[in-house]
Amino acid sequence: MGLSRREFIKRTAALTAASYVGIDLPFSNEQEAHASDADSWHKGTCRLCGSGCRLELGVKNGKAVALRGITKSRTNMGYLCMKGMLFYKLMGNNHPERLKKPLYRARKDQPFKEISWDEALDIAAKEFAKAVKQYGNDSVAYYGSGQALTEETYIFQKVMRGGLKTNNVEGNPRLCMASAVGGYITSFGADEPIGSYTNFERASCFFIIGSNTAEAHPVLFRRIMRRKLDNKDTVKVINADPRVSPTSRIADLHLQFNPGTDLALLNAMAYVIVEENLYDEDFLKNYAVFRMGKEKKQVDFAKYKSFVKDYSPEKAARICGGNITPEKIRQAARWFAKSEGTMSIWTMGINQRKRGVWANNLIHNLHILTGQLCKPGADSFSLTGQPNACGGVREGGGLCHILPAHRLVKKDKLRHEVERLWGIPEGRIPPKPGYHTVAMFEAVNQGKIKAIWINCTSPAQSLPNCDKYRKGMRREDVFMVVTDIFPTKTTELANLILPTAFIFEKTGVYGCTERRSQLTAKAVDAPGEAKPEVWIVREWALRLAKELNDPVIKKCVEPFLGKEPDYELPKAIWDEYTQKLTKGRDNDLRGATYDVLKKLPDGVQWPAPTKEWALKGGTDIKFVRGLDPLADKHAKNDLPYQFYGPAHPDKKLWIWLRPQKGPAEMPDSEYPFYLSTGRVIDHWHTASMTGRIKELMRANPYAYVEINPKDAEKLGIKPGDMVEVVSRRGRNVLPAKIYVGPCEGMVFVYWHDQAEDRMINRVTKDAFDPGSKEPEFKICACRIKKVSGPRPLKPFLVQMKA
Amino acid sequence: MPTKDDARHIKRRTFIKALGATSVVAGSIFQPIRSSAGFLASPVTTNTLRPPGAVSEKYFASKCIRCGRCVEVCPYKCIRPLDIHSGIFAGTPLIHVVDIPCYLCMKCVDVCPTGTLRPISQEETRMGLAVIDKHACMTWNQELALCRTCYNVCPFKEKAIKLDALRPVIIEEYCTGCGLCVHGCPVTQKDGKKAINVEPIYAFKEKGAR
Repeated sequence: MGLSRREFIKRTAALTAASYVGIDLPFSNEQEAHASDADSWHKGTCRLCGSGCRLELGVKNGKAVALRGITKSRTNMGYLCMKGMLFYKLMGNNHPERLKKPLYRARKDQPFKEISWDEALDIAAKEFAKAVKQYGNDSVAYYGSGQALTEETYIFQKVMRGGLKTNNVEGNPRLCMASAVGGYITSFGADEPIGSYTNFERASCFFIIGSNTAEAHPVLFRRIMRRKLDNKDTVKVINADPRVSPTSRIADLHLQFNPGTDLALLNAMAYVIVEENLYDEDFLKNYAVFRMGKEKKQVDFAKYKSFVKDYSPEKAARICGGNITPEKIRQAARWFAKSEGTMSIWTMGINQRKRGVWANNLIHNLHILTGQLCKPGADSFSLTGQPNACGGVREGGGLCHILPAHRLVKKDKLRHEVERLWGIPEGRIPPKPGYHTVAMFEAVNQGKIKAIWINCTSPAQSLPNCDKYRKGMRREDVFMVVTDIFPTKTTELANLILPTAFIFEKTGVYGCTERRSQLTAKAVDAPGEAKPEVWIVREWALRLAKELNDPVIKKCVEPFLGKEPDYELPKAIWDEYTQKLTKGRDNDLRGATYDVLKKLPDGVQWPAPTKEWALKGGTDIKFVRGLDPLADKHAKNDLPYQFYGPAHPDKKLWIWLRPQKGPAEMPDSEYPFYLSTGRVIDHWHTASMTGRIKELMRANPYAYVEINPKDAEKLGIKPGDMVEVVSRRGRNVLPAKIYVGPCEGMVFVYWHDQAEDRMINRVTKDAFDPGSKEPEFKICACRIKKVSGPRPLKPFLVQMKA
Repeated sequence: MPTKDDARHIKRRTFIKALGATSVVAGSIFQPIRSSAGFLASPVTTNTLRPPGAVSEKYFASKCIRCGRCVEVCPYKCIRPLDIHSGIFAGTPLIHVVDIPCYLCMKCVDVCPTGTLRPISQEETRMGLAVIDKHACMTWNQELALCRTCYNVCPFKEKAIKLDALRPVIIEEYCTGCGLCVHGCPVTQKDGKKAINVEPIYAFKEKGAR
């Protein structure tokens, strides 16, 4: 007998001990708070994703204890996803990792030490003033977020533009929405969708392209799914995506094309519409013109017809590859054109492309050709990814080339109008747009920007090819201020970290995808010394004015002096923005005062020029006489639709002739795979919030790479094997998931993971659209290789080192 | 008169007794989900399962030689050996899917020298059957919650689990009982169970689980 009793006990004990050292997550079996626990409920908007779901926060003894949907809300009808149900766990003192004190270090290799707000604001003001004095006004920059409240983006950009005389005002919506903005402006003459979510219940054909709605916008997907299930035979769903996603499940037709061939597919659908006379002749005659090229040359229908002749379904099917057949393209085009109301839906698959604006244009083309616009259920609808990318950044002037209320920086008249409304000297805002996102961080790399303020976002993880840009952020001569609620990959590179209040700990407005502005008022206290951003900016601007001896900087925040920061201050900022800046613009929000917003279960859709109109909920469909007050006001003739958008002087819709163009980087013999990135339902963006909710982290503790079973078989990769994903820029090592999701020759990785080895943006490419400057996250070339069998992995989140 | 040897023996015995008592106490603290601590009772119960390919519980204890190879080879450390107070099942492998589920890498079935874990494929595995507790599940009991974590994490999505109007439904024919859904489930009930649990319905049958 080889094994003595003692030996056996020893071994068993050792094995038992070993078994406890696994990837066991230290999660307790604590009970969820229940709605009955709360003693008051406070209305607000979900902090995550751009759907704009309305919810109520349950508060007990000053502590956030639960969230529930508001059934009267027109966005979500009370439904919430798990992210929305659980983010109260990040509020107040509910989460121990919240940033609570300002932290500072003079050099980036030193540890942080706690300082007071006075010291912190002095340091921030001195460093920005020093950069301005030594290197000029364009050596400072602000990089904001589609998650900041409208009031925050507005006051930041006002101080930067009016005070510091620079247009270096950017934000992460450049990474997600810029191509949609470009598309809407070039095709319709006005930014943001024409219709609303109400079209989900009226559409009889859905064309979902480049969007995994089921995971990225689950609550909106429920509405689409409900519509489809209630009308199985009459409602058609077309899903076009190189990857089979949960969204594809409800599709009648799935068009799986190779990445980067979408322009050919869309042009081929236009070919079928033209060839089979499925276009709406009256609509075209009354409302549309055809244009091409950089000089926007107007051409006739015949020229357009000859242009699309080049995209026969047979040819397009060859270009597109995948499962595309000419018959599928014809079927899709017929359903699209013949339905009572067709609604197109897209997100990053279309926007994050080298030719994102063109792809947007081509979708709009199909709608204009077939007249699938302005009528019930017909809409060309881009979904937003962030809760306030539309409201705060697109409308509030949060990008380098735009001023508040859809004004372009380079238009003298509009710029001077803003200067006049702000009461600052004419010529204070420079006429040249600032750096767009990629250029801004390139300027940081080159040392052209000496002081940068990053608010509410984590570019160190979210920029494409992020290793390249992290080098710049590590430079000792670049002073970085980061305002955030949790430690992130970006706070790791900061000099000064300022703790801010989270949603429901401050007051402000979010504007969601469907032009709807919704108020969230303060309900719980922020933890420690965390402050609302509006207070931080006001105090910082006052110190800047002193440092630079410039009264105009003070003038920028003068209307807000002495206001209490939790409600009065944001209200004063909102009033200035809506009453002065949006007056007479297409996003007229004068009716949507805080008092009106508080009365409504959801919010107000602009245009809402009067309180009476705002109290009805605002404008459901733009450009339609009788439904949109501005359409009546701007009417030039008797036609029912008035496309009064500020960007098109001829007040017409423009159909663009845009040829097929591939991605910036194509797979080759060295890097034979397409790499695409995306999202899972349980996490959001850099996971700095959702990763800290244990229930969500449990379900998706780390990123993986999705590989088509056929490719996996060829490469000998089994489920769970560790796979290396390498591009010309960087390398990741991730566990494999063998799944009939991505098409053959393509791999897919989700980008929420903060672990260095699994941060896929170290691998993606920073090529960008020449029009919208939005980077092509969705396509680059990579190679994959198995490096080992399965390994236990630990979830990773950046922690603040004491 | 007791000799020196006897005295030592007594001491040793006392020591072992004390050790036994400690481990029983420790066991009851650290392993709350143990249905029965009986000497002959199988430890297999809800969410506490044998690795893939296991023979019937009737024969498991007699067939398994407690070599610990499956424990050692498991890359995710989900297989744990039972400790000494588990009666005749001491040393046999067990998976607590609430803590660490089985990722179906199928390495354990390859290394088992006795055939206690029979060499089978991923798809053939039947460690148990996932059962949704419709009273606890957020999506089933609260009409307005949209959760489908179990669906998302399932390695046999659309086969073993489907969504019926966004609510998860298990397809018995294909469910392997790997427990990924149990592990991911955001709901934890008072007794430690989840809103979806794997029931070892095959373990006590003559043919055993697979």
